[in-house]
Amino acid sequence: MSEQENQFYNVYEVFSKKTDKAPFQHQFSLLAPNADMALVMAKENFFRRETVADIWVVKRENIRGLTQGEREMLKRMDKNYRETKGYGYLKKKWRDYNQEQFTEKHIMGGREESR
Amino acid sequence: MNTKTMNEQEQSALIELIYQLGDDDFILAYRGSEWLGLAPHIEEDVAFSSISQDMMGHAAMYYHLLEELGEGEADGLAHLRKPEAFRNAILLEKVNGSGTYLKKPDYDWAFTVVRNYFYAVYKQIRLESLRLSSYEPLADAARKIITEQYYHLMHWELWFKQLVTSTEEAKKRMLSAVGKAWKDFGGVLTLGPSYSEMVKGGFIEDENLLKKRWLNRIEKMFVETGVPPQGEPLIESGNGRKGEHTQDLADALTTLSEVYATNPASGW
Amino acid sequence: MQAGLRFEQLTNDEKHQHFMQRINRGEKIEADDWMPDDYRISLIRLISMHGISEIMGALPEKEWVPKAPSLHRKLAIMAKVQDEMGHGQLLLRVAEDLMAPLGKSREDIMQDLFSGKLKFHNVFHMEAPTWGDAGMIAWLVDGAAIISQSMMLDSSYGPYARALKRICAEEVFHAQHGESIILALAEGTPEQRELLQDSLNRWWTSLIMFFGPKSAKETGNSNADRNIMYKIRTKTNEELRQEFFTKYIPRIWALGLTIPDETIHFDGEAQMWIYKDVDWREFKQIVSGNGPRSQERLDLRRRSYDNNGWVREALAAQKAI
Repeated sequence: MSEQENQFYNVYEVFSKKTDKAPFQHQFSLLAPNADMALVMAKENFFRRETVADIWVVKRENIRGLTQGEREMLKRMDKNYRETKGYGYLKKKWRDYNQEQFTEKHIMGGREESR
Repeated sequence: MNTKTMNEQEQSALIELIYQLGDDDFILAYRGSEWLGLAPHIEEDVAFSSISQDMMGHAAMYYHLLEELGEGEADGLAHLRKPEAFRNAILLEKVNGSGTYLKKPDYDWAFTVVRNYFYAVYKQIRLESLRLSSYEPLADAARKIITEQYYHLMHWELWFKQLVTSTEEAKKRMLSAVGKAWKDFGGVLTLGPSYSEMVKGGFIEDENLLKKRWLNRIEKMFVETGVPPQGEPLIESGNGRKGEHTQDLADALTTLSEVYATNPASGW
Repeated sequence: MQAGLRFEQLTNDEKHQHFMQRINRGEKIEADDWMPDDYRISLIRLISMHGISEIMGALPEKEWVPKAPSLHRKLAIMAKVQDEMGHGQLLLRVAEDLMAPLGKSREDIMQDLFSGKLKFHNVFHMEAPTWGDAGMIAWLVDGAAIISQSMMLDSSYGPYARALKRICAEEVFHAQHGESIILALAEGTPEQRELLQDSLNRWWTSLIMFFGPKSAKETGNSNADRNIMYKIRTKTNEELRQEFFTKYIPRIWALGLTIPDETIHFDGEAQMWIYKDVDWREFKQIVSGNGPRSQERLDLRRRSYDNNGWVREALAAQKAI
């Protein structure tokens, strides 16, 4: 019986987005036999109070995550050539030309504000 | 239509109708609340409780409509009426099984699923009709309730399908529950003695129309899941719309008013 | 970690050292991370006990769900007991993931509960004979629970900390639900006030017991020290109990209620509450399943679980592959 009942349990991971604009976020997990049941359970188990715009359920087995060894290898060396902090000297350079360095906002399209 | 333009007969038919709506939801929500903590597994316990809460909330909305129509305070309506003043269908008041929620609760999950599924389908159909009710406060309530009802129906439909198409034992239990519910579902489908005034007042559509829509939908599910046709739904245990009830309702009312009745006048 | 080596290539001792470094840096451990056996066992013990206590804790309050004295109270207490079941769901999921490598599942948790191997909180073995108890449980029992749970919000075990975050957010509603009930009784008729005082008398000892004994010597074992070392918890039982006193005693007195301990007072010099200690042998008896309602509640849980075995089997047959 124990074996039989263990088999009832698939673990489903539950994701949701709070509003139309928000990205999906992991919430929690639950036990259910299949995706339809998992979805119906997810709604009341995790969104009784908060607003929710969409819900996903994913069978945990179908998620390939990193192993601990792989996660440890994420702690990589500095690569300042692909981050803004590697370009701090530009501000002074532009000053020499009597120009302000563009802020992130300018670069993302706030051009009309630039002089 | 509003209470000023209504004649006396129409107003009393409207009040009858709202009692039916409120009492149906109230007593079935009560039966649901008895399951709290005892459902087949934890995730379902939580999900089922939301439905019971929503339904009791719907009952409270109807009781407030009655309050506005001069029937007295909502809490009094829920807790102090005699059984014969209740207008719910008898099927919805029946116990969940033998035992009580405190002692030896041998509750029947198959009956719970079937009763709730059948009722959820009917409630959906009834709300779609009430949405267009000539009594605007009722139409307004129906429009609010219908959004929650969508997920109730989805929940019970899924349970019905998954159990009735599963193991031999589940199928057997579900078919027996279908038979049991069928014997009294006619009592849910009727609008009672003042039905023609309700229809004349434009409060709700003809009961035969609602019944046909219900049968169509249920029969489709029966075909899909291999449940044999059951014929005409019956009213075997009596007509709750006429104030006929069983001991099950009387016992439930004693329990649910136990604290309130000790001192209805004081705040709780 | 040793430079250049993959995590999988480390020896057990090196993994242990690496683990402790992470704990001490305040990093969070996840379910599939390597962890020492005693860390895993401590977590399983703590979290399955916590989770099953939520599930069993639904039962005394559930007694008052159908009887709650207004539509509003009926709805609120239903929502509250539902949350307790929901907290049980979150916590058992966390425990189940920890147990999975040992080949165990929720079914084993339930069977351990039924066999008496898995214990639940002392408070849920007690009677709740009046509506006053429904208020007292939500106000003070939940109040005590909030104090011990929020201490672990920064627990080193990530999944537990995340579950507690969800739980604590809902406990705020529970606290207010409880306050609303007891304030209505406190401001009500003389009979209602009496209901409240009776209930406080009934629950006081259980509330002292809730936080557990001061030290290992009262019960012969205490896992608190190991849990503090592993940063699963940060405070001792007595520190939590003192916090509870400081938070609630002034309110109890402000409502004109009497605490059934004539010795209780705040010692300004020692900066702590002095109170009559309880009989910890009785505590042990209660949590071993010999409390006034232990067996009835277990019977209720076992019966409903067994009656619905066919449902779980039927769903198992619908399992997605």
